[in-house]
Amino acid sequence: MADPLQQFEIRPLVPIQIGGLDLSFTNSSLWMLIAVGTAYWLLIAGTRQHALVPGRLQSVVELAYEFVAGMVRDNAGKEGLRYFPLVFTLFLFILMGNMLGMLPLPFGFTFTSHIIVTFTLALGVFLGVTILGFYLHGTHFLTFFVPHGAPKVMLPLLVPIEVLSYCVRPISLSVRLFCNMMAGHTMMKVFAGFIVTLFSYWAVPAIAPLAVTVALTGFEFAVAFLQAYIFTVLTCIYLHDAIHMH
Amino acid sequence: MTRLDARLARSAILALPIALALAGPALAAAEGGGGLPQLDTRTYPSQIFWLIVSFALLYRLLKTKAIPRIADILETRQDRIGADLDRAARLRADAEAALKKHDSILAEAQARAQQRLREAQERVAAELARHQAELDADIARRLRDAEARIAAAKKAALGEVATVAADVVRAAAARLAGLEVGPEEARAAVNRVLSAGAR
Repeated sequence: MADPLQQFEIRPLVPIQIGGLDLSFTNSSLWMLIAVGTAYWLLIAGTRQHALVPGRLQSVVELAYEFVAGMVRDNAGKEGLRYFPLVFTLFLFILMGNMLGMLPLPFGFTFTSHIIVTFTLALGVFLGVTILGFYLHGTHFLTFFVPHGAPKVMLPLLVPIEVLSYCVRPISLSVRLFCNMMAGHTMMKVFAGFIVTLFSYWAVPAIAPLAVTVALTGFEFAVAFLQAYIFTVLTCIYLHDAIHMH
Repeated sequence: MTRLDARLARSAILALPIALALAGPALAAAEGGGGLPQLDTRTYPSQIFWLIVSFALLYRLLKTKAIPRIADILETRQDRIGADLDRAARLRADAEAALKKHDSILAEAQARAQQRLREAQERVAAELARHQAELDADIARRLRDAEARIAAAKKAALGEVATVAADVVRAAAARLAGLEVGPEEARAAVNRVLSAGAR
């Protein structure tokens, strides 16, 4: 049985060394660029007609746009729409990473199944939102950590909790995405491996892990979309906190 | 406090993956080379670098090219819908104005028709009255004429009666008494008797 973790291996395609750092172009980098290319191609091809009544592809593009714009508006308010391009990029990048990772290719790879990728994204969101909070509200932003209506005596306890829960955000954000992608993909590989193993001994019961794999595949597609959505929606909520505080 | 509870619960839930993430490297080290590829820190610089490059590239492409195009399409549609709605509202206002005008014209025409009708009625009534008066006068005149004629006829008839009576008197006198009475004498006698009867 093939190692179910093998799919997560990073393989350098073009070795690049800069200043002692290994910045090789890897299979992960390749899929990131494919994700960028696919996302961009989809948007441009979809809007080529510039039709008043959209066709199929244009509907998809408009739907994605309205979906994310609605998400930003609902969660971060009208002021949040200034950051819409960034949120839209984030959503498409993660969605493409998750979805392209579902392609059954021998060199297939899901870059969002790596904690360092999701953590870098989440840290970027966290730092950006925090800087924005201080930029918009100055030191007044610190009162964000003081819960409204809490008794004064409790504050020495509550404020550290609030600060901790705030600082933990990039970790929760990144680990959620990374764990979902990694666990799902591993499960799929494990059950797919069962099919092969079982089939070589006893053909008919191999249908059971096959059925599970089929179900998991559908499930994984749902997770791929859902996790992209969750990451984006949480980003919007953090944006809201930074813009409006409570 | 529910919000706080939720936050506390979330922190507790989060503690698990953090612990896993922290314990990971130790795990990887313990297993030697066969650890989780995700925890192989040697690949981190490359992943971070290419992540930043591709994310920045996508951001730039979307911001400068794709998003303006989509926004333009949606805006055009919104404008078009707005313009159509405006036009519909304007047409509606026009239709309402036309209806109002139509109503006023209709009302005016009705008023005028009523006026005409009233005038015609009055005219006809006047005509009728005049005719009636003429007719009445005519009838009265004819009545008078007829009465006059009747009176004349009566007078004539009465005259006739006297002549006949005189003849009868003469004949009777000749037969009964054998007297020859002259016509003037008989006439005078009849007139005397008649006037005595009339008295």
